[in-house]
Amino acid sequence: MYSYSIRTLDELKEFLHRAMQLEHATIPPYLTALYSIKPGVNQDATQVLRVIVVEEMLHLTIAANILNAIGGTPDLTRPDFAASYPASLPDGETDFKVSIQAFSREALATFLKIERPAQRPKHLAGKGLIQRKTPANTTALGSHPRHEDLHFYSIGEFYSAIAEGIEYLEAEAYRQGTTIFTGDRSRQITPEYYYSGGGTLFPVTDWKSALEAIALIIEQGEGDGGDIYDNDEHELAHYYRFEELVKGRYYQKGDQPGHPTGPQLQVDWEGAYPIKPNLKVAEIPEGSELREAATAFNARYGEFLQLLTRAYNGQPSLLLEAVPIMFEFRNTILELIRNPLPNHPGMNGSPTYEIPGSTKQAAPTRQSEVIA
Amino acid sequence: MLFPLESTLKADAKTVAASGEYDIVIVGSGISGAIIAKQAAEAGKRVLMLEAGTGANITLAGYDDLLTTFYSAVSKDNQSPFPLNANAAMPRSPQLRKLQAGETDSSTYIVQSGPYVSDTTYTRIFGGTTMHWEAKTPRMLRSDFKTRSIFGQGLDWPLSFEEIEEDYRLAEQEIGVSANVEDQQYLGQTFPGDYVFPMRGLPLSYLDQQVNKGIEGTSVELCGKTYPLKVRPYPQGRNSIPNPAYDGGKGYRPIGAVDTHQVEEGGRCQGNTNCVPLCPVQARYHSGKTLAKAFAVNAKAGERLVELLSQAVASKVNIDPDNGKVRSLEVKVYKDPASPAHEAITVRGKVFVFAAGAIETARLMLASGLRSTSGLVGRNLMDHAYLLNWALMPQICGTMRGTSSTGGIVDLRDGPFRERQAAFAIDIHNDGWGWATGAPTSDLLELVDDRNLHGADLRRGVVDRVSRQLLLAFMLEVMPDESNRITVDPQYTDALGNMRPILSFTVPEYTMKGAAYGRRFARTVFARLGAQDHTHYDPGDFGYVAYEGQGYAIRGGNHLAGTHIMGTTRTNSVVDKNQRSWDHENLYLVGGGSMPTIGTANVTLTLAAMCFRSSRDILKYLH
Amino acid sequence: MSSRFEAFLGISVELTAFSRFDLLGTGLAERYLATLDKVVGGEITDTLLAAFVALPPAEGEARIQAVRTTILGNELLGDVARALIKLWYSGTWFELPCAWTERFGPRPADTTFIVSPDAYVEGLLWKAIGAHPAGAKAPGFGSWAFPPKIPALPELVSKA
Repeated sequence: MYSYSIRTLDELKEFLHRAMQLEHATIPPYLTALYSIKPGVNQDATQVLRVIVVEEMLHLTIAANILNAIGGTPDLTRPDFAASYPASLPDGETDFKVSIQAFSREALATFLKIERPAQRPKHLAGKGLIQRKTPANTTALGSHPRHEDLHFYSIGEFYSAIAEGIEYLEAEAYRQGTTIFTGDRSRQITPEYYYSGGGTLFPVTDWKSALEAIALIIEQGEGDGGDIYDNDEHELAHYYRFEELVKGRYYQKGDQPGHPTGPQLQVDWEGAYPIKPNLKVAEIPEGSELREAATAFNARYGEFLQLLTRAYNGQPSLLLEAVPIMFEFRNTILELIRNPLPNHPGMNGSPTYEIPGSTKQAAPTRQSEVIA
Repeated sequence: MLFPLESTLKADAKTVAASGEYDIVIVGSGISGAIIAKQAAEAGKRVLMLEAGTGANITLAGYDDLLTTFYSAVSKDNQSPFPLNANAAMPRSPQLRKLQAGETDSSTYIVQSGPYVSDTTYTRIFGGTTMHWEAKTPRMLRSDFKTRSIFGQGLDWPLSFEEIEEDYRLAEQEIGVSANVEDQQYLGQTFPGDYVFPMRGLPLSYLDQQVNKGIEGTSVELCGKTYPLKVRPYPQGRNSIPNPAYDGGKGYRPIGAVDTHQVEEGGRCQGNTNCVPLCPVQARYHSGKTLAKAFAVNAKAGERLVELLSQAVASKVNIDPDNGKVRSLEVKVYKDPASPAHEAITVRGKVFVFAAGAIETARLMLASGLRSTSGLVGRNLMDHAYLLNWALMPQICGTMRGTSSTGGIVDLRDGPFRERQAAFAIDIHNDGWGWATGAPTSDLLELVDDRNLHGADLRRGVVDRVSRQLLLAFMLEVMPDESNRITVDPQYTDALGNMRPILSFTVPEYTMKGAAYGRRFARTVFARLGAQDHTHYDPGDFGYVAYEGQGYAIRGGNHLAGTHIMGTTRTNSVVDKNQRSWDHENLYLVGGGSMPTIGTANVTLTLAAMCFRSSRDILKYLH
Repeated sequence: MSSRFEAFLGISVELTAFSRFDLLGTGLAERYLATLDKVVGGEITDTLLAAFVALPPAEGEARIQAVRTTILGNELLGDVARALIKLWYSGTWFELPCAWTERFGPRPADTTFIVSPDAYVEGLLWKAIGAHPAGAKAPGFGSWAFPPKIPALPELVSKA
């Protein structure tokens, strides 16, 4: 038992909220990188990013299922839910910034960090959480509700804390002849609403399915304890899919981490529109069509989060209505990314993901290049 | 779904020729061949599959290249994604022209000997015509199997609906059919008590709903019987929401895009409105999904059981004169689609399966001089005749969205009127007038060039013109007729020197009677909808047919059948009810060509069901 | 942005009734200007752009009438302008009418062609009707069951 271990059901619920926030927070960077790719190039990268975006949606939904299973109420409209970018994520002893940016080597380096399998080195084993190095006003993803100034060693460790919390609280409840899995079964999102080439959605109803759900999230992200494939579907973990792009080669069965031996693939690192990283609406001239479109996108994204919230609160079939909105986002994001950013020669626009009503939005940094 | 990487490597022609006798040699990688390959591999049999196309589309990158070809093609016809390949040429409808009386046109791959010019197509590429099929998967009706007995028309099958029913369910599983049982229980169709389709039905399009609003509750009278009108959803071979109740509550796991590495595509249908000619995301079934499973089967020793040899065109069948069995197959393997250079190899097998489609299978037999005891190889060619009717709805219907077709009017698929005229099923085309007029591009040209619209008027104009389009495509029954046929002639050959198919066809009067009624029916429906009829059949149209003082442009349906017809004896048919050749005991001619009639059902589901039946017979034969 | 490109965007907005944001959002504006230059040549393209720049600053019907008389009804420019509209709407350059070629001389690049695969995908026709090009930009499962969302016409007063 560590100082950061989960002790109460309320704390577990808060952790699961943060898990949802974390899973959701990976979607805007991946989505933006995906749609920044120019037509006709980077087909392999497009496929890889698409797999991962879709699976992050799965992870978000799985986290909601666990939260629902223990009687929680998922809320993606909470003012602190939507991340402000750049947001910080734990990566070993440091934390790092996740940005909204175009597909590039830098973007990929960040994505690898997001999904990196990480074990504490010996000198840190058994030690507590790690001191944050990013400023307090940035969104700290995967943080501990009681220790906002600290961070976990890795996302894996964050999820392990949740798994241990579930086991601890369920054992406690069991001793008292009850269970923490008191949620209404009809609130679970079932597989007919989500399926893909890899991973399936399943209802979480007990201790066992909850731990399976957490294992799926971890394995799809970083692999199964050093294995590049997850154990269920023999599906390549996200980390290694990104690595394929960096190495220019596909993995195949039997490969060791870091050494893909499958067919070669081509990456055109210049084959993306030059968008301004972490653009904020305030940086786009007032009255411009681009600003209007960026603002409209954010409003629509807010509606999307409201719809998901309703879907996760007893109306699973609404997820089907969320699907066309995701496709609509593709069209809008493409347009934002292809429009030049006024007063920034050589730079294009981007969605800003500043969700109305969200308090986690850092104040826009006024830099000298901004001419409003 | 994952293709084993090795399966995409080009099999070497010399190795194939030298590798002795296969258990089964299959010609064609469409759905028929794929099902038999998979069933055989799962039973431990060694299979060689020959594919005339390049096989490049086996990987996702190759598949996506087809999509790019489609995007870049000025003419978006139903073969536009598939690059020209003179060594494995295929019919392409934009090349057709009307024939003068007695004229033969050999300028296209299929030699059109008339009098009717058919724009029917099939696709000679890995995956066969399932690469461009629309994927509507209705079952044939009980009565369709015995039209001779019931209506005095066509032929009876040597099989009853009851005998094929279980194989229909296997085919629905393999294709992954999306439909709701309650929507398919019209005209006496029944399903076993607990049956559900693998996936739930796709929702009707907004256009379907608008049409339904106008006609539901009304009816038509024909030959003294009343038929209620209603838009009903079609069963579809594309991914929808898996039904958790499928297979006794085990549910169904949809199969997405196939590739040699894991991809996330081909989940639920996204509504690309492009089932024909190519689903961009592989949400629609193609036989590559079945073949991925076949290629994944390993023998005990670990080697794969199914080998694919691409760029391999079957050219001649060699028969053992002592026992009539097929001894070997001569195959021309070309190196490059741009050159006729090829090597000729001979392949041997215990069983041969020709699954090249109704025209190519018949062509191969005829080119090998094998007309069969009955003399019926190539005869009884059938294809659904389509009569298009198009109109503008009074209200905006959001045309150009959905799968190619989600619903239709299907209550006249059966009835006593079939004693005198063809039955039909009507598709509502979600892509508007595209098939009839080339919409919406043709509309754009008219609005800009002729109506001089620009700016806001043009934007309003295209909405007014395109979003209200309604196309009713009448799929008319065509009965077997021995004079409708495929033949070959040494004077017409392709780049590899293989004889090309010659098509002679007259649209039967039974069908034209149905077409004439269909036209009147369409006008009634349009009147009830308040829709402006824009239908116009040009006498210069290649498919123009005059009947009782009126003219109709008849289109092919790409539902080819009948050329190696199934029957009860070697004198009345080419194959038996297991699709085995009467004359050659180790030869199976499979696919639509075996069907004695086609009713008003798109043929793929039925021929897939028949291939499950044939698989069992082949395995029995090999034991 | 060069003033030539600005003029090209301006005439494109005028002819298509799509906003600059929409047009730039296709990622094709530069290529379409280059297509004009390639097919009819820089001189005729410049004449077309000059005719646009010279339009009186009228609004409404008067503006439309001016476009009709000085551009769409101009013997040299009319067919080129119509080809430009069709290009934006479909991604296809449609060969100019024979009458134009006979009068002003054939242009070697003037055949019917699709500018690039993405040009087909970004055709504005589909956007105008609240649909999507067949085979691309899918709207998502089940979206077809709902009424189409036909976008409102933009206010075409040019925004900074």
